[in-house]
Amino acid sequence: MSLPIKDVLAAKGIKPSAEHLTKLEAKWKEFEALKGSLEGAHLDDYDISLKNIAGGDHHG
Amino acid sequence: MDKDLLKKTMTEVAGLIKDKKVSPVEVTQNLLDYIDESNKKTNAYISVTAESALDSARQAEKEISAGNYKGVFHGVPLALKDNIYFKNEVTTMASKIHKDFVSEEDATVTERLRDAGAVFTGKLNMHEYAWGIDNNNPHFGAVHNPWNPDRVPGGSSGGSGAAVASHSSYTTLGTDTAGSIRIPSSACGLVGLKPTHGRVSKFGVFPLAWTLDHVGPMAKSVADAAAMLATIAGFDPRDPTCANVPVGDYTSGLNGQVKGLKIGINEEYFFKNVDGPVEKLIRERIADLEKQGATVKKVSIPSLRNAEWVELATSLSEASAIHHHDMQTRPEDFGADIRFLFELGELFTAVDYLQAQQARRQLKAEFDAALQEVDVLIAPTLPFIPPNIGDDKVNINGKQMDFIENCIRFTGPSNLTGLPAMTVPAGLGDGMPVGLQIIGRAFDEARVLNVGKAVEDMKPMGDKSPVLAP
Repeated sequence: MSLPIKDVLAAKGIKPSAEHLTKLEAKWKEFEALKGSLEGAHLDDYDISLKNIAGGDHHG
Repeated sequence: MDKDLLKKTMTEVAGLIKDKKVSPVEVTQNLLDYIDESNKKTNAYISVTAESALDSARQAEKEISAGNYKGVFHGVPLALKDNIYFKNEVTTMASKIHKDFVSEEDATVTERLRDAGAVFTGKLNMHEYAWGIDNNNPHFGAVHNPWNPDRVPGGSSGGSGAAVASHSSYTTLGTDTAGSIRIPSSACGLVGLKPTHGRVSKFGVFPLAWTLDHVGPMAKSVADAAAMLATIAGFDPRDPTCANVPVGDYTSGLNGQVKGLKIGINEEYFFKNVDGPVEKLIRERIADLEKQGATVKKVSIPSLRNAEWVELATSLSEASAIHHHDMQTRPEDFGADIRFLFELGELFTAVDYLQAQQARRQLKAEFDAALQEVDVLIAPTLPFIPPNIGDDKVNINGKQMDFIENCIRFTGPSNLTGLPAMTVPAGLGDGMPVGLQIIGRAFDEARVLNVGKAVEDMKPMGDKSPVLAP
């Protein structure tokens, strides 16, 4: 069960207006539909490519 | 006021300064006089620093007179986007929250231009915190497109686009997280280059989304963009993402020759849902390149179908992390549009973000494979003609579609991959500029610029110029 958007944001200390809440709910539904494109993307072999470089930001 | 001098490109005016046909003080005073007039119509500048510009111009004049000419930027006046730091000067990010922020250091790109002798005339308007594309700023006012003042200039570097298109800055820099160099360059009829990620230092540039942010030229010509890149590119240890890769020669090989060039076209993504007049112009320019000896091959990049969600999940999450504290403590100080985006960005989970990075790696691999088959990819920069200020929908073949999502649809993938991407004017549709986008291999900006030069040499804009021009 997913929490309502209002509760998710309240837990983070963020209080959207009632108007924004309605828009947020609609936009989030659109995003979930867009994310549907990831189904079947076979991502298991893809490293996230973030680098943990020891000793600073750059090699050498 | 010398209107012909205002309309010169950056490299043209640099040639006049070098040959001592005009002095830096004359060029700067002429530009400052014009800014007073033009800014009332475009609102491209947030601040004009006339006194310090004239001081710098006088200094440049002394140096050049003494035989110490530093190169193409010496004595050339220009302004920068107001999220690029100037030492001991206010950088507002076009926001209320940072309206009095003073940086203790120059951004690396500012420092490199300053060292090259550039004269800074002020700071340019932008979408608040660079988080939007219409440049309808609640704190500093809307920027107007010089081709039609009722239309948006694009964003987030909309002030930069309007300033260069109206000839109130000889050239400039934009920042690009989902298209913010290329979108306003396309909308304002300019050349705009997002370099390879890591090619140009981001130190001293206020972030929007760390892994997607880029800094690059916005210019009246490809030669100007090449000269700017040559000046600002190169390793900087202060930027953790900057790449230690030798800087290429971007200027001497600019000949517009494309014989033997292999152009890739991805029909499924980059030519889907494109407004008719835009598609027509892009295909015409591609046909022109073929006539000059280039060949065209269709390429497949299936994971582009994920690109919109990956771009949104990455950019919204990173931007909301940057502004999280202010969203908790003073949300009313943000404009309503970006406050909404920051709320939206708080909804993604860590798993969402990391899956987006996995999908991003897959996208990179497919782009790299495609660019083994061809030298560059060509696509429209925007799928529509820029709408009126205040519109949140755009017209694509008679359908009203979401402005923001369609604005970044063709530009966002190059932020995800980090590959260089440039827009050049391809012609006019409905009286407004249409941009053609060239995407290249990593660190192959020289080739991208040269293909842009070939398009520029076709003179697709004819003798048309913006209505808000000298």
